[in-house]
Amino acid sequence: MNISGFLGYFASFAIVAGTYSIASLGLNLQFGYTGLYNFGIAAFFATGAYVEALITGGASMEHIGGFGLPVIVGVFGAMIISAILAYLVGIPALRLRGEFLGISSLGIAETVRLIITNEKWLAGGVWGLGDIPRPLGNLVAPKLYNWIYLGLVLVVVVIIYYLSQKVVSAPWGRVLKAIREDESVAAAMGKNVYKFKMQSLILGSMIMAVGGAFYAHYIGYLSPESFRPLMGTFIIWAMLMAGGKGNNKGAILGAFVVWGVWTFTEFLIDFFPAALASRSGYINVVLIAILFQILIRIRPEGILTEGK
Amino acid sequence: MNFVVNGLILGSIIALGAIGLSLTTAILNFYNFAHGASLLLGAYMGYTVLHSFLPRLGLEGSTFPYLSFGFPMIIAIVGSMILTAGIVILIDRFVYKPLRDRGSGPLILGMSSLFMALMIRNLVRTIWGPDIHYYSHQIQMSRTLPFGIKVTPDQLFIIGFTIILVVLTQLFLKNTKMGQAMRAASDNLDLAMVTGIDTEKVVIWTWGIGTALAAVAGVLYGINVQLRPMMGWYFLLPLFCAVIIGGEGNFYGAMAGGLTVGLAQEVGTPLLQSLFDSLNLTVSMTGYKPAIAFILMVVVLLVRSYREE
Repeated sequence: MNISGFLGYFASFAIVAGTYSIASLGLNLQFGYTGLYNFGIAAFFATGAYVEALITGGASMEHIGGFGLPVIVGVFGAMIISAILAYLVGIPALRLRGEFLGISSLGIAETVRLIITNEKWLAGGVWGLGDIPRPLGNLVAPKLYNWIYLGLVLVVVVIIYYLSQKVVSAPWGRVLKAIREDESVAAAMGKNVYKFKMQSLILGSMIMAVGGAFYAHYIGYLSPESFRPLMGTFIIWAMLMAGGKGNNKGAILGAFVVWGVWTFTEFLIDFFPAALASRSGYINVVLIAILFQILIRIRPEGILTEGK
Repeated sequence: MNFVVNGLILGSIIALGAIGLSLTTAILNFYNFAHGASLLLGAYMGYTVLHSFLPRLGLEGSTFPYLSFGFPMIIAIVGSMILTAGIVILIDRFVYKPLRDRGSGPLILGMSSLFMALMIRNLVRTIWGPDIHYYSHQIQMSRTLPFGIKVTPDQLFIIGFTIILVVLTQLFLKNTKMGQAMRAASDNLDLAMVTGIDTEKVVIWTWGIGTALAAVAGVLYGINVQLRPMMGWYFLLPLFCAVIIGGEGNFYGAMAGGLTVGLAQEVGTPLLQSLFDSLNLTVSMTGYKPAIAFILMVVVLLVRSYREE
């Protein structure tokens, strides 16, 4: 591989890792700071991606939307729809023991996947959604476009990092940490635990939708198959646990590390015998799952710890 | 009417899985997200015993009258129960037990099991491939019973076999020492420990029984429909739903919950479809069968959360 090929590869790697790190920051707010177990990240990531595609994409006879509106409108739309979804998940689950949020968010992820697959008029069904524009695409030659887009994604990551840091160090964030450590103490101090959990769930899910929206622009085409919504949940959990829960720098670092491991093992599998190579995607998931089990055993706090 | 029969068949399969899940949830105090994967593993283990292992012993081909399978299938079911339970007990020893010993809460265990489900599914895809498998390629004609009910003999076998297993499990829980210890542990683990029950042994038996029942459920689903890597995942929400309806650790509750979910999925889908049709809405419900369990679960959770307030 020559040097420009390698650089191009690096740019696309960093773009995907960047969009995942946005979702990882969202999960960190929910899990790292509030202790909420969201097993349906894929629902919010996919919602963000699809809403963005419908709002900014070109018109089509096959499905609704395709308004061709600016990216920023799409991102706000994605956040609003994702917030509504998070609210619906929170109502039945957040008053009960923590497991029920896990189960209920898993259910919403399945339901979103079914809607994406079945509703052709809304999401293109199994054929998927294409014609998603490239923001700032007319500024440079197509060959260099990835670098511009990488810059855009990194700016968004920095903005969300900065805002996340602000909210978790504010009094609001301290209430979240109190709820994470001991719900009954937080309740005894007169805090409405349900309300704070709901706010954290909604805000985190809105951040995840932003990640999904920028992912959509990069891959340019969404379908239930290419999008692998189930994977979305697992890989983002692995990223946050590897990087360090309760640490926003860790959330970003974890995204780059885990995506690096993922890409590297994919690269290694090219050297496998042909019979196995066709199943390389599955072996890769198995490796990530094993890595995750080792991680929560030997270093549950992640690479970067929360600190004081 | 046939929807009801289909619902009962699916419901018995879910009930078998739910009884096991309910036991492990109550005794091990965490929701095992890999229980669907036990169904999956059970179905594929049965496939391997039936099509790879038994033919080497010269046991194949014979079928029971009316059914699409014969005595080898019974061996395959038992073999699958033992193999699957053994694997899951090993997983407990090497993955969950160290976490429990460190004092990890139920949510960390739940997450660990979620990743375990992901790993098992992808191992199945790696070993057996991503394609659909069948135990038998024979096509069965369904017979018409009174009231115009159409069933295949295989489906009657599924219901009958489920009833036998449920009765056996209940006898085990009621009449053996280990069964009584398990029921005591599911009521109150600390109290059971104080009275001198060997809780580690109870834990192993719980995994064993719960997983063996799930393995049978997986094989029965394979007989009725097909084997595919995603089947365990599609059962996960119905299983949780059944356990939540029945209450964790409640034997009859899990059974009733399983039947309710099965019926809701099979009867609810055409009911909602005709409702939408009469309103002139062009919605196709067939793709949403799995979501019905979820909607049912949300309703039960809502009722629960207002009761606990």
